[in-house]
Amino acid sequence: MPERMAHDASDDNLGRSGMGRLAAIVAAAWAVPGLGHILLGRVQRGLLFALLIWASFALGLAHEGRLALRDPRQPILSSLQVIANLGVGPADAVARFSVYGKPVYRFRGAPDWRSEDRVERVFRERARSGVSIYGTAYLWTAGLMNLLLLFDVWDIGTRRKN
Amino acid sequence: MRSHFLHMVIYATIVSTFFATMFRDTPKGRLRLGGILWLAMVGGALVLAYVMYPFPR
Repeated sequence: MPERMAHDASDDNLGRSGMGRLAAIVAAAWAVPGLGHILLGRVQRGLLFALLIWASFALGLAHEGRLALRDPRQPILSSLQVIANLGVGPADAVARFSVYGKPVYRFRGAPDWRSEDRVERVFRERARSGVSIYGTAYLWTAGLMNLLLLFDVWDIGTRRKN
Repeated sequence: MRSHFLHMVIYATIVSTFFATMFRDTPKGRLRLGGILWLAMVGGALVLAYVMYPFPR
């Protein structure tokens, strides 16, 4: 309990400007994996995190990982998949632009597996690829690792963690 | 690259390095936690595979 109180006290010590600065660092950490730790002075750790996340993301794209789209037939599960993809930051939008031709995040209505719509066709082709299952795991892992890093950055910034 | 085993090893290496770096501050501690996590993932999968071997379907 005293430890918890000390944590609360450290939050208060940051002040409004300190919290604003920390929020900006967390946003930067989301946008560029590893940058949050670098801005907080953990340069080596930040570079290693960046390397791991970019490696996972690159492996995911190289193995035709599925960039999830919200499916109205499975709204919760598919939304969680999209969130996992979004965790890696704006790089996800760039990847979607490259793969689907635009930064799209949901199907237009229920997907029709015979549709010739580019997004649905590309999604279908990647799902059928023999290596897509590996790529999808790498993409989700990259996003989820970066989301986890945001909490780590917050804890370091509020001095809950060294 | 279609080797399931190779992907498993790469994946375990990335994830174990990530968590070891996040939760330990010293090189020795990171190596120890990373090794434990890596062995748990790769070794655990191999043990499970052998246990499941008599039950292919």
